Amino acid sequence: MTQTLTRPATVLDPPPAPPRRKKHRDPSRYFRLHLPLVLYLLFTLIPFYWMVVFAFRPAGSTSLVPWPITFEHFDTVWNGVGFGVFFQNSLIIGVGTLVVVTVFALMGGYALARFKFRGQRVFLLALLCTQFIPGAMMLIPLFVIFKSAGLLNSLTGLVIADTAFQLPLALILMSGFVRNVPVELEEAAMVDGCSRLRAFFAVTLPQLKPAIVAVGSFAFIGAWNNFLFALMFASKQDKFTLPVGLSYALGEFNTDFGALAAGGVIAAVPVVLVFAVVQRFLVQGLSAGAVKG
Amino acid sequence: MKRLLVALALVLSACSAGGQDGPTTVTFWDNNGGPGRTPIYQELIKRFEAANPDIKIEYVGIPSSSVQQKYDTAIAGGSTPDVGGVTTSYLAHLVGQDALEPADDRIENGALKDKLLPGLLETVRQTAPDGKLYAVPASGNMDIIWYRSDRFEENKIPEPVTWDDLAKAATQLTRPADNQYGFTIRGGAGSVFQLLSEAYSYSGIEKFYDGGKSTVADPRNAELVRKVAELYKKATPEADVSNSYTQMVAQFTGGTVAMMHHNLGSTADVMKALGPERVAAMPLPKGPSGKRTVVPNPTDGFAVFKGSKNRDASWKFVEFLTSAESNGYWNEKVGQIPANTDVRGAEWIQKNPAVKMALGVLEDSATVLVPAPVYLPEYSSITKTDTEPLYQKVLLGQMSAQEFLDQLAAKLTTAQQDWEKRK
Repeated sequence: MTQTLTRPATVLDPPPAPPRRKKHRDPSRYFRLHLPLVLYLLFTLIPFYWMVVFAFRPAGSTSLVPWPITFEHFDTVWNGVGFGVFFQNSLIIGVGTLVVVTVFALMGGYALARFKFRGQRVFLLALLCTQFIPGAMMLIPLFVIFKSAGLLNSLTGLVIADTAFQLPLALILMSGFVRNVPVELEEAAMVDGCSRLRAFFAVTLPQLKPAIVAVGSFAFIGAWNNFLFALMFASKQDKFTLPVGLSYALGEFNTDFGALAAGGVIAAVPVVLVFAVVQRFLVQGLSAGAVKG
Repeated sequence: MKRLLVALALVLSACSAGGQDGPTTVTFWDNNGGPGRTPIYQELIKRFEAANPDIKIEYVGIPSSSVQQKYDTAIAGGSTPDVGGVTTSYLAHLVGQDALEPADDRIENGALKDKLLPGLLETVRQTAPDGKLYAVPASGNMDIIWYRSDRFEENKIPEPVTWDDLAKAATQLTRPADNQYGFTIRGGAGSVFQLLSEAYSYSGIEKFYDGGKSTVADPRNAELVRKVAELYKKATPEADVSNSYTQMVAQFTGGTVAMMHHNLGSTADVMKALGPERVAAMPLPKGPSGKRTVVPNPTDGFAVFKGSKNRDASWKFVEFLTSAESNGYWNEKVGQIPANTDVRGAEWIQKNPAVKMALGVLEDSATVLVPAPVYLPEYSSITKTDTEPLYQKVLLGQMSAQEFLDQLAAKLTTAQQDWEKRK
């Protein structure tokens, strides 16, 4: 008995001290790691810098900095081209697609991860195969369906079209995330008296926060950037979206670089903001679901 | 019950009749919508609606890069507009789908009779296999050479007349150390169409096909292609091998190059950046034959779609857009050749040297028009996907000019023969 209470002396010993770090880091680390990263960052940011320069400098200026500053291009695209309406439409379609895709992906992804049913593998394969079909190929059949359903020239129609194309990937991603949440947690909750639905909301859903952010971001950005559906399923000026507005700047014989850059800034800002807010969750979510799952 | 049904029918008929009392709506798709053209159309629509309160125009600007796909989808889905802006580069494609209403009778019996430039009418007619007029021409365009008149003056170089003059001037104006080049070549998107304009201007060959066989591979055309390739890197920036019009115009307006072959479509950009005191336009240089042969650019116009339920109102709008006043207003703003002959004497044309020069060339009886076969369904893929990479090989010295033109001619001949069979 006494023996069972006695612990081996080694357990009580303090853990061995970690090896002492060198006071000065290896200087070659800066060349191996930081310098390439800085160069890569510059390489990535230069196009954005050019966009900002073109957007804020007067037409015809060759200055490398946006000075003297002008807002004439923003005035042209916002008031002249109608970016105010396009922005609003893009936002409605982006948020609408985000909500619908995320809700359906949560439900479908949970079902795919937690239940076994006949034809599950085939279903997953079919989901994957939908990703190989280019949107342009589906254009005319979809157009005819949308026309008979009265969904042309409506933002609801565009949300449905974008959702249809975003959902398969969202389902695959989400099922991976759900699989990663131990089923024992839900089982424990159910042993404590929760229904499956309550166990899902109380236990699984909080674990899926990064997944919701990742899937939602992809859905939003996919809908935000979609040019083809917005142009083809809408034939009214007040139903177009930002990508259609951007392509206005590229004319048959001339390109309005100022308008293009100003429109680019307007279109990029929300996406940059979304990424700035969610990037922490996004990295966490992607590594949790896509890689490990 | 019977009375109730009769009353209901009366109410319904009154409702439907009431719906027709409002203004007729005509949808109009602009085939090149954007900040440059949309405000001009908005002004014209305002004028039209003021003069015709019973007709409302619903303007939809379509980006030029996607307009053909938009029309194709609309035709397949049965949702075409009433009136659409079209150019001859894809007119045959629309006619082939039986989507457009012929305009011949409307022109013959309307206000536009004998008011449209015969050359432009002919260009539009040639695109249809039945020779009918499926679009009312509104604007003509022409390939020209924009040049920096200030630099020519500084260096005491006269305006080039022949291709050899141009090559000499380009070499003289090139100073790579100062990032100054005499000429810019379009080596990327759209290169072959532009090259063919240069080749036929040089060779003086008056027909694109001779006995059903393409004349593109004529040794005189090959000579011009060689001369252009010789200028590459000697008098042009090295990056020209991948130039589309966007890069060319940016190089020219940015002051890097002294001469650029483009068309009247870039007038607004060029004039805005450089102003008439620093820039001038000339026709494409002649070759040793001394003949003035011109490959016409696609003609812009308006078509009424067969699916339109308001054809009379639609034609009224098309007539308004091509009337002397509207056509003059439109072409003055975009710097192109007005199709309406009554605009010929307008003051703005005298003040726009590029348009004046282009009109002079087109109206000169010695000028021979050599229309490219834009009516061929394969024309676009042949001159773009199939042969643009080959032209880049010529510029890079990996293929001979003659070999390149032989391949191009073979494809054009086959396409023409297929077209003749299908007619």
